[in-house]
Amino acid sequence: MKKRNMQIRSLLVVAIVAIVAAAAVSPAFAAEGGNENIFSGNLGNAVWTLLIFGAVLVVLGKYAWGPLLDALQKREQFIRDALVEAKNDREDAQARLEEYDSKLHEARAEATAIVEEGRRDGEVVKARLEDEARQESQKMIERAKREIDVAKQTAIRELYSTSAQLATDMASRILRKELSAAEREKLVARSLDELERMDTN
Amino acid sequence: MTGTNPLDHVVQHPIVEAELDAGLLTPEGVVTLMSDHIAMTILAGLVLCIVLPLAFRRSRKTGDIDRLVTTGFAGAIEVICQYLRKEVAEPTLGEHTDRFIKYVWSLFFFVLTINLLGMLPIGVITPLAFGVHIGGTATGNIWVTGTLAVITLVMMVINGLRLGKIEYLKHFCPGPWWMAPILVPVEIAGLLAKTFALAVRLFANMLAGHLILAVLLGFILAAGSVSAGAGFGVAIPAVLGSVGISLLEIFVAFLQAFIFTFLTTLFIGMSVVFHHDDHEEATAH
Repeated sequence: MKKRNMQIRSLLVVAIVAIVAAAAVSPAFAAEGGNENIFSGNLGNAVWTLLIFGAVLVVLGKYAWGPLLDALQKREQFIRDALVEAKNDREDAQARLEEYDSKLHEARAEATAIVEEGRRDGEVVKARLEDEARQESQKMIERAKREIDVAKQTAIRELYSTSAQLATDMASRILRKELSAAEREKLVARSLDELERMDTN
Repeated sequence: MTGTNPLDHVVQHPIVEAELDAGLLTPEGVVTLMSDHIAMTILAGLVLCIVLPLAFRRSRKTGDIDRLVTTGFAGAIEVICQYLRKEVAEPTLGEHTDRFIKYVWSLFFFVLTINLLGMLPIGVITPLAFGVHIGGTATGNIWVTGTLAVITLVMMVINGLRLGKIEYLKHFCPGPWWMAPILVPVEIAGLLAKTFALAVRLFANMLAGHLILAVLLGFILAAGSVSAGAGFGVAIPAVLGSVGISLLEIFVAFLQAFIFTFLTTLFIGMSVVFHHDDHEEATAH
């Protein structure tokens, strides 16, 4: 393939050299008969040149340069518009980025504030709950103590009553003397009073 | 078959002539109705009017972006056109660039095509095929380059008056008003000198290159008239030299087309774009 390309290239070079050589040779073999004044020419040449150049100007102006110039101008406008648009987009993007940065910063600050507030609220709730629990437990302890006291008093009172009754029963048995119900009650009340007095002392 | 005078190979060869006396415009009392140079000018016009519109025919591409992208041969032409527009015309014509750019492009490609067609060796074939000599470089004819330069002169003056108005006329007297009798003729002479230089530069460059080729190859004929061996001996360096000069001529064809276009743009720019140097200097200080 490479060899073939080389051959084609060599042929092209030979062809170009041949054409150039032929071009060089042509003036030497041109026909004779013209006058040999280098300024040869006249109005005919001028008129033809004017007509041909005018025709070229009109035809190319309409069918070649017109579309070309139009395309060049459109392309320039397109590039200009694209650059302006790109510049505006970049500025917009920059502004938006700054806006988002600012919003992100605000959001971060807000989130920190919310977390802080939550933490504070949590601590308050925790403290309140602890306080309430402490108070509740205190109350329960108080209540339990009171109940224990009442139960204790009741038990003591029952103990005294039962003890007094047993004592009087035993005493009456010892004395062999039957006490009437009213006397027994009086004796028990008196004993309880003495016991209470002893307890308070 | 050979012309020993090298001038014979570069001058115009009339094909059809008519008698006419128009003074300086017909120095020999005849008007050329058809010649090899006129035929080459017509050929150049036809080539341009067929090839370029075909290259730039309305794109069948769809899509906004695709329509803006030029491809193929049109892309190559577009590069040249855009260079002439942005780098040559815009710095000198400024806001008027797109007003004159079609003229500038046409001029460049017209001169370039004539220059390049002049390099084609068709002058050897046409006498045998048609019995008449068709070939040669039409821009090696002072009447052709002179006409193009006069068109530029007209463009300068007409557009100077149309766009510059009084400002353009003021440029004919750049000094104090009482120097007008001297300055105005000098400025007018300068205007004509620019046109003359424009015409002669292209004419002389194209003529000189072809003359060198003719002289080089004439050496072969001169040596050949002494002996066949001398002819062959001289032919090798002469043909090689001619190849080199021809390659140079192709470059010159582009260069001279560019210079002619560049100077035309510059001269038109001088007529329609006015820089207020005094004001600029005052603000600069």
